[in-house]
Amino acid sequence: MTPIIRRAAVRTAMFVVALALVAAVWETYKAVGPEDGGTILGVRILPRTSEYAMPHVWDMFSRFSRPEVRGSERTVLDAVTAGAWFSFRLSVAGFLLGALIGVGLAVLMARFKVVQRGVLPYLVVSQTVPLIALAPLVVSWGGRLEVGPFVWPRWLSASVLGAFLAFFPIAVGTLRGLAAAPAASVELMQSYAASWSKTLFKLRFPTAVPYMVPAFRLGASASVIGVVVAEISTGLKGGIGRLIIEYAREATGDPAKVYTAIFGAAILGLVMAGAVVAVDVVVMRNRPKEAVS
Amino acid sequence: MTAVSVRNVSKVFNQGQSNQVDALSDVALEVKQGEFVSLIGPSGCGKSTLLRLIANLLEPTAGEVVVNGKTAAQARLDQDYGMAFQQAGLFDWRTVRKNIELPLELKGWDKVNRMARADEMLQLVQLPEFGDHYPWQLSGGMQQRIAIARALAAHPPLLLMDEPFGALDEMTREYMQGELLRICAATGTTVVFVTHSIPEAVYLSNRVVVMSPRPGRITKLIEVSLGAERSEDTRNRTSFFEAITAVREGLRGMHAAHVGLGNDDR
Repeated sequence: MTPIIRRAAVRTAMFVVALALVAAVWETYKAVGPEDGGTILGVRILPRTSEYAMPHVWDMFSRFSRPEVRGSERTVLDAVTAGAWFSFRLSVAGFLLGALIGVGLAVLMARFKVVQRGVLPYLVVSQTVPLIALAPLVVSWGGRLEVGPFVWPRWLSASVLGAFLAFFPIAVGTLRGLAAAPAASVELMQSYAASWSKTLFKLRFPTAVPYMVPAFRLGASASVIGVVVAEISTGLKGGIGRLIIEYAREATGDPAKVYTAIFGAAILGLVMAGAVVAVDVVVMRNRPKEAVS
Repeated sequence: MTAVSVRNVSKVFNQGQSNQVDALSDVALEVKQGEFVSLIGPSGCGKSTLLRLIANLLEPTAGEVVVNGKTAAQARLDQDYGMAFQQAGLFDWRTVRKNIELPLELKGWDKVNRMARADEMLQLVQLPEFGDHYPWQLSGGMQQRIAIARALAAHPPLLLMDEPFGALDEMTREYMQGELLRICAATGTTVVFVTHSIPEAVYLSNRVVVMSPRPGRITKLIEVSLGAERSEDTRNRTSFFEAITAVREGLRGMHAAHVGLGNDDR
């Protein structure tokens, strides 16, 4: 386990260094850049460095501990944490739904070549539909769709949009993984007269894991993006997306505030992808080292 | 009693298309119970195709294959044979023991019986202490021995092997040949063995089947009379070299005929 821990430590350190570098570049430009930005022939090519356009990095962080609105007990940290937690749950729901649909489609496509030929092009096309255009449509189902006792809640629309982005990399990655079983292993299973489903679970899924993990990691971050964009474009209350638009409106008077919400959204995406990596480490612990990417 | 009966079998790939290949043409072969038969010949002679027809991984274009008195398809469904390939093909995510248990799992054996049989097979291939290792922690020769243990786990009467020692170094290879003979003697298993190596075919076999390409067919059946007991000394006996010469001439005769044909074409 020690090499794994050491590698994790190195990666964490690299990550912190990278963040520090970004902050340093930001502050350096702010120090040396022109206050009103640089313009050539009336076109602004260098951003302004004024306090309103580029707040100091430490102002962004110190903003977390101050009240959300003047005279309020609630700090920005409380608000962002609550918003991120809300969006996190929607993202997890979206990710799980996307994984279910993605893996299901991959299995169907691997089983029936006809399905693969018929469905795969539409999956690719589906990802070219702008999410912003789709969001209001899906959100409008909220409260209007009823199946028996089930009433479509508004938050589910955001999860569905997360799933809409998440399912695609998962479907494609899983399909590639399912097709990656060596021919000799497939023949071996045939020689045991193993059914297609037994071959699927005993051979194809285990072979697919190294392909599925990166796909699931993409899917996890895509689900966060879907949920946040859905919240922003429809103004769904309670999530980090809503905080981003609310705080952005106050940017003229309180420029550091919006960055706190953006950090919250970034951490949310990292946590989602990190959870997938953690599962990967556990699942792949007994595989040959070169198979672990 | 006949273990395998191949009756006037032909196999054509891509029939009627421009890339049509006559892989096998009118092949007949009988393998007796407990016999060790090697298929030898240059690439493209259809020896692997013949093995896959016996295994029912391919269907013959003409003729029929009977295994243990049943159709090849029924024999496959009943797991009447075990199979080993050039690559050991063990599953990386399963322990050695779990790899050996794979065919038993697919047959629906319960856990207790599977454990007992895996122990028995680990003893048979003399790797009892490696049950809980993962395959990638083992050497190539050890992996191949586990693959043989897996092929024999369900005690099939027939073992089909496609160049199982082809990827091993010479020393390991000769050791594995001795191991295979010992295991077959202990279990009474019939073996059909595909190989490129003349000494390997002679050392292991009761009969060597010499095949030739385009179209794949059997050109010669050579009896190897080295007796049932074979050891490392066998490799030094005159009769061993005589048998090698016989197989080599069988292969060379066909080679000469083939080159002659080529010249006529020009």
